[in-house]
Amino acid sequence: MRFLRMMKLRGYSSALLVASLIYSCAPEEKLPIYGERHLVGADTVYHTIAPFQFVNQDSVVIANADMNGKIYVADFFFTTCRTICPIMKTQMLRVYQTTEDMPDVLFLSHTIDPEYDTIALLHDYARRLGVDSRRWNFVNGPKDSVYKIAQTSYFATAMEDKSEPDGFIHSGAFLLIDRLGRIRGKYDGTKAPDVDRLIADIARLRSE
Amino acid sequence: MLVFVAVYSFNGCGARDPKFKLYVVEGERLYLTHCSNCHQPDGQGLGLVYPPLASSDFMDKNFEKVICSMKFGLKERIVVNGEVYQQPMPGVSALTELEVAEIATYIYNSWGHNRGMIDVKDMGAVLLRCDSINLTY
Repeated sequence: MRFLRMMKLRGYSSALLVASLIYSCAPEEKLPIYGERHLVGADTVYHTIAPFQFVNQDSVVIANADMNGKIYVADFFFTTCRTICPIMKTQMLRVYQTTEDMPDVLFLSHTIDPEYDTIALLHDYARRLGVDSRRWNFVNGPKDSVYKIAQTSYFATAMEDKSEPDGFIHSGAFLLIDRLGRIRGKYDGTKAPDVDRLIADIARLRSE
Repeated sequence: MLVFVAVYSFNGCGARDPKFKLYVVEGERLYLTHCSNCHQPDGQGLGLVYPPLASSDFMDKNFEKVICSMKFGLKERIVVNGEVYQQPMPGVSALTELEVAEIATYIYNSWGHNRGMIDVKDMGAVLLRCDSINLTY
C-alpha cells in the first residue's frame, strides 16, 4: 500500500525527469541537467534549488550560499523511521566514506520530522554515524519549508501522513546537485547498485 | 527438493536436527525482512546508531530482553560492548511466538553465536513476563 502510493507520487517527477533526460544527453556524456528550462535572450536558464535557510546539527544556519561551488547529495529522512531510512543512511554513509578525500563534495540530509528530530538529536545522530559537519549537514527547518523544497526543488516526495505506520511518506531518493545548484542525478538510496551509479556520477561531475 | 528433505531426515538428531535448520532458514528470512534494515544483513549494526548483534555482550547477558524487544520494542538506553545506544527500537507486534523463536534461533546461531535452538515452546512464558525483565550487565 505504502509503496503503491509512493510509486504514484514518484510518477509525476519521474515523467518530468525522463522528459528532460531525453533531450539533455550531450555527446561528451556530461550528466543531464534535470527540470524545466527556459530561454532568456540567448541563454538557457535551468531549474535550480530554490533559496533555503535551515539549521544544521551544530546550530549553524545552512543556506544555498554554503553549497555554492560545491557538489552535494541531498536526501529526506527522519531518525525514527524504521523502513527505508536506515538503508538510505547505510548507503549515504558509503558515499560519504568513498568521497572522504573530496572536500568539494558535501551532504545535506533534511529531517522531515523537525519536531522530534531537534538540533540536539541531529547532533547526536551525526556523531553516532561518525560524520563531520563540515561535509555532512543534517538540517532542521519548518515542516512546510522542508516539504515544499522537497517537492518543488528536488522533485522528491516528503509529507506527513498519519495513516502511514511511521506517520510520513517520503521517497528514498538521493539527489545529486552541481556547483550551480542544478539537479544532475536522481538515485534510489535504498538500492546499492543505484548508489554505485551515484558514486560514479560524482566523479564525472567533478571532472566537468 | 526431495533430496534436500531426505538428507535432513537421515540427519535428524542432536542440536543440528532438521527443525533447527528450518528455524535458521526461516529466521534468516524474517531477520532480513524486519531487522536487517538497521542491524544490517551481517549483524554489524550502523555506527553508534544501531547496535551490532554479531559480537554483542548485551545479547549474551540479556537473552529474554532480546526476545521481548522483537515483539514489544526497546526504549531504554542500552550499553553494548561498552557503547551507549539510545535510538528507540520499534517492536514488530505482529510477530508470532514461532517467528520470534525462529529469529532468535537465527541471530543466536550466526556471526559466532552458538546458543543452539530456541524453541517456540519457551517463547510464550518469556513474552508474558516482558514487563518485569530488567537489563543485566
